[in-house]
Amino acid sequence: MLRKTLTEDSFYLNLGPQHPSTHGVLHLLLKLDGERILECKPLVGYSHRAHEHMGQNRTYLQFLPNTSRMDYLGGLCYNHAYCLAVEKACGIQAPERARYIRTICAELNRISSHLLWFGAYLMDLGAFTPFLYAFDDREDILAILGEITGSRLTYSYCRFGGVSRDLNQNFRDGVKAFIPKLRKRLKDYRTLVTKNVIFLNRTKGIGVVSPEQARDWALTGPNLRACGVAYDIRRAEPYSVYPEMEFEIPTATGGDCYDRYWVRMAEMEQSLRIVEQALGRLPDGPVKTAGVPQWLEPPAGDYHFSYESPRGHLGIYFVSDGGRVPLRMKWRTPSFNNLSILSEILPGTLVADTIAILGSIDVVIPEIDR
Amino acid sequence: MSFLEDIRPVLAQRFGSENLSDQERARCGYDLRLALDQERLLELAGLLKEAVCYLEYITAVDQGQVLDLLYFFGRHDQPPFRLQVRVAMPKGVAVPSLANLIRAADWQEREVYDMFGQRFAGHPDLRRILLPDDADFHPLLRDFKPGPQHGGEVVNLERK
Amino acid sequence: MVTRSALPPELRPPVQMALLDDILGIVRANSLWPMTFGIACCSIEMMAAGASRFDLDRFGAGVFRPSPRQSDVMIVAGTISKKMAPTVVTLYEQMPAPKWVIAMGNCAISGGPFVYDNQYAIVNGTDVILPVDVYVPGCPPRPEALIQGFLELQDKLTRGGKTNLLRRFRRRPRAERP
Repeated sequence: MLRKTLTEDSFYLNLGPQHPSTHGVLHLLLKLDGERILECKPLVGYSHRAHEHMGQNRTYLQFLPNTSRMDYLGGLCYNHAYCLAVEKACGIQAPERARYIRTICAELNRISSHLLWFGAYLMDLGAFTPFLYAFDDREDILAILGEITGSRLTYSYCRFGGVSRDLNQNFRDGVKAFIPKLRKRLKDYRTLVTKNVIFLNRTKGIGVVSPEQARDWALTGPNLRACGVAYDIRRAEPYSVYPEMEFEIPTATGGDCYDRYWVRMAEMEQSLRIVEQALGRLPDGPVKTAGVPQWLEPPAGDYHFSYESPRGHLGIYFVSDGGRVPLRMKWRTPSFNNLSILSEILPGTLVADTIAILGSIDVVIPEIDR
Repeated sequence: MSFLEDIRPVLAQRFGSENLSDQERARCGYDLRLALDQERLLELAGLLKEAVCYLEYITAVDQGQVLDLLYFFGRHDQPPFRLQVRVAMPKGVAVPSLANLIRAADWQEREVYDMFGQRFAGHPDLRRILLPDDADFHPLLRDFKPGPQHGGEVVNLERK
Repeated sequence: MVTRSALPPELRPPVQMALLDDILGIVRANSLWPMTFGIACCSIEMMAAGASRFDLDRFGAGVFRPSPRQSDVMIVAGTISKKMAPTVVTLYEQMPAPKWVIAMGNCAISGGPFVYDNQYAIVNGTDVILPVDVYVPGCPPRPEALIQGFLELQDKLTRGGKTNLLRRFRRRPRAERP
């Protein structure tokens, strides 16, 4: 008869800031009892690079390169959002062709962000193959976007009044070849991953978030749509050419990891539809409004702009005093609130489930830390 | 009747119609602006929570003598609705925390504390979130000037 | 001990004689195990370099070890913030010798696009806190640039590439490289 001679204590485990399955430098302080999590405290700030302070010390155009560095997976989306926000404040309207081009690039960026998430998430769960395939698809997108933007990851392509450069034939050919290729690949991913019994066991019923919890914690993006709330800024507060595009907002009802995965995979399909439509309807014309001054001086006041980034509701709020440098530049990044919900849904789960849940939220840490 | 039409008279009656002003969404991105006293913050937050709004973000703007605390509330339903609540606080005075009522306020308030030094009374765990725990400055205040004591070289990027 | 002159001429190319250091150099250079240590944007390009299109594994460096205790080279990919700096140094100290550091990206070299007069939050480059062996510039550097950085590191370990017998290609002389 064995008697317990050692008292079983809970212990603290540092998950991060360096860990293969964190998406950036995230530090989760976990209080464990064996394999079960009792408490979880996410500690952030390891990537704080003073973006908002730079926003107060830079003119509007000088701040443009910072936008891509905040969410490097959705860099073009952030470029787009920033340009739309400042243009709205200054009353500048980009030409029609530029708005279509921006939309095409933003949706391609969204697909590449979801592809990377898909590869990284499955690598976290232990499957190495999807990572390699997803990155291969992603390289196609990066090559296409690199044709016109010049960059692979951190873009400064959108300008106030349009975009910096027009599309070329390589871009068009690349997109036309890419769309059917990705559609076929998505079918492969469905066979390889979505129906995989190990994947289903690791994600179904794990990390359930109810719609009320999601609203309380201000969860946005695919995480919110997986809980059943069909809230997408592209439909709720449309900008650019989205009112003219036909696309659906995929929504699931369970709120678990599998549903978050499913929503993102479905979103990739919808983004492909948008790219197809936009490329088909691309009007001719200039790609940049003439006469936009180098130093913009929005009228004094405060301005808010909402955008749907691949991770959720991106809010840009800036206060202008009529000068060249904003008084205050606040970025409401989706991952900031999305990550905070971990302190509520992780306790009670196993360590292995932690990785599955953390990955399914799709956080980009520099976006949190700015 | 849209939510905006429903909530406007309620807010005007409870918090004073002189504090409430309609804004043009096309210009500034939000529909209503409410200037509030800090004692009534919890009351307003409770009202909005019952009305199924969500707290988008909390931020602050340093206006020199006062710190303007801004709370943005939105909704998931159509048509879109956004309310900006402005609480002007002299520096150094604590504000009641919304973190126990609305969980999204937890980290948002910690960030405002970290960047501006604004304290929130009743916050379950008010400590720095982005800067190191032992930092002794609040960077987004207007009179903050990093010096050699903050480490790192000061690079002069001016062109001569 | 057998010397080179004792070998018949027809055996001289396939059979090489080398000092222990050279042997260890070849071995280490062709099996550099990087630590998965991505801080910010450059980590995505590091992942792309390890993925299918650019395949760092061809150079022996594809085995990314999560644990510093099992890795040879730390690729510092991203801006080191002041909060992160003690962690970076701890990780470096946890790596067993011989160890090397590749500073990948402008932020790791000098602070990158985040250097400005009133910056309070970052460390201006990895070499402020760690000894760096190879600097790979770019914002972010292309995966090919990171691979070039690895080749430079391999050259550093093998006397400029001269004794790297496992390498099946020849690098262009430095003067001719773009």
